[in-house]
Amino acid sequence: MVNKPIAVGVLALQGGVVEHLNLLRKASAHIQSADNLQFTFNEVRTPPQLAQCDALILPGGESTTMAIVASRLGLLEPLRTFVKVQHKPVWGTCAGLVMLAEEAAATKQGGQELIGGLNVRVLRNRYGTQMQSFVAGLDLSFLGDSGKDDPFRAVFIRAPIVEKIITEGEVDGSKGSKVEVLGVFRAEGQQARLEQGGEAEKGDIVAVRQGNVFGTSFHPELTNDIRIHVWWLRQVVDALGHGK
Amino acid sequence: MATNLHPTTNGTTNDDFTVKAGLAQMLKGGVIMDVTTAAEARIAEEAGAVAVMALERIPSDIRKMGGVARMSNPEMIQDIQKAVTIPVMAKARIGHVVECQILEALDVDYIDESEVLTPADDQFHVQKSDFKIPFVCGCRNLGEALRRIKEGAAMIRTKGEAGTGDIVEAVKHIRTVNADIARAKAALAAGGDLAISALAREIGADVALLKQTAELGRLPVVNFAAGGVATPADAALMMHLGCDGVFVGSGIFKDAETPEHAAKRARAIVKATAQYTDGKALIAASIEHGEAMRGISNAGLKPEEKMAGRGW
Repeated sequence: MVNKPIAVGVLALQGGVVEHLNLLRKASAHIQSADNLQFTFNEVRTPPQLAQCDALILPGGESTTMAIVASRLGLLEPLRTFVKVQHKPVWGTCAGLVMLAEEAAATKQGGQELIGGLNVRVLRNRYGTQMQSFVAGLDLSFLGDSGKDDPFRAVFIRAPIVEKIITEGEVDGSKGSKVEVLGVFRAEGQQARLEQGGEAEKGDIVAVRQGNVFGTSFHPELTNDIRIHVWWLRQVVDALGHGK
Repeated sequence: MATNLHPTTNGTTNDDFTVKAGLAQMLKGGVIMDVTTAAEARIAEEAGAVAVMALERIPSDIRKMGGVARMSNPEMIQDIQKAVTIPVMAKARIGHVVECQILEALDVDYIDESEVLTPADDQFHVQKSDFKIPFVCGCRNLGEALRRIKEGAAMIRTKGEAGTGDIVEAVKHIRTVNADIARAKAALAAGGDLAISALAREIGADVALLKQTAELGRLPVVNFAAGGVATPADAALMMHLGCDGVFVGSGIFKDAETPEHAAKRARAIVKATAQYTDGKALIAASIEHGEAMRGISNAGLKPEEKMAGRGW
């Protein structure tokens, strides 16, 4: 039996949209399943387009702009329903991670609208201005063996981090999945002390998952490395009950 | 403390350019607004601007006042940096390496080596790859764009005639860039590397960058429109012509009756840029925008009054 294709959207209000679509197309060639499933990849700008999607990526960009434009287009509530009521799989990179957090610090005066879904507080622009943007190799064990042997070259641009995991009870309706930390960045000094047998310093949380909601501080879409896109598409396939 | 957090020492040159060009990629589909005070920067941020360009006078006032236009006062740039959380860009004069060093030390997010200011060097632009901070530069054609990218620019803007509110020059230059790219594609298809080399000589561009452009079918970095954008329809027109986003200089604050009017204009241009294919959204944006800056017709300008021709 041939299933209906899985519709994956990329929120296209602003930012690195094409970059995600390109990597998704490359990554989909690596997904094998028992029932020969197909994917479609589309830009999402309106509530009807969102309603067509089985899963969604919120790309990098300026989170203040995205929140303002989404609100003016009447997309915020449909997005909240998509993430928190329908529990469809979503992945936010950088600004997308900010949008998926329940709380954000260092926002513009007066704060900004968020979608939520991750019981975390993000800190915007953790490392400072563009002069402090950087690329670093990350060990991402959720990628399996390849994540251990071949660090992921993670691009951090005016990046946010997860500064706090909000424990259950602090946020309404937080029952259910727990927040899992999937990636930590340690600056050179911290990493060296760890390797010399020092106590593991906490480092910065830069990849998290809670149920079907996944977020990264960095931009896999600015590299040619498809591993995280392949991993995420597999998560989408599993969440939608295909290939079992 | 802040310095040892950043593993810049393991970064290769390639990584550095990924980081520089990457910020421009994150600005795509957005509007970058010229602002002269912290209050104007806040209006821009609230309206949904993806970044602000801090400068002492908007281009229409530079045009009116004459004299030498230079890098802005660092104190004013710092005030703007404190006021907003979105990226802050600032302009340096063409070829003025020290103004660029000052702006880099100020920790702005991007430098615009800009023809809107009076050029400091009539032969050379700044060697931008020597800097850690990324640069955006203007162009009128593909050769000029690729010369700037070769020097290290991580973002391009097609030049319009700044401060006029007349879109005609911006349209002319994006059309020229698009036509040049079509020519490069045709040359690669018909004559391969030899044809690319010949075209590169003709337009004064680097061979490898020209080949990359031909293969991609677009500029190898993000390209915004700049100069003469005065209305939501102007912004949507530039998106329609293939720009990745728009700079709006005088169009927001020039001749605005009140801060509220400027805020409405700013919101309207953000909306029109994000939804440039949606006719209904453009109607709403045009109504919200209200009266535009009065403007100066480009056809009435003498050659020496034009800024777009500056750049080598």
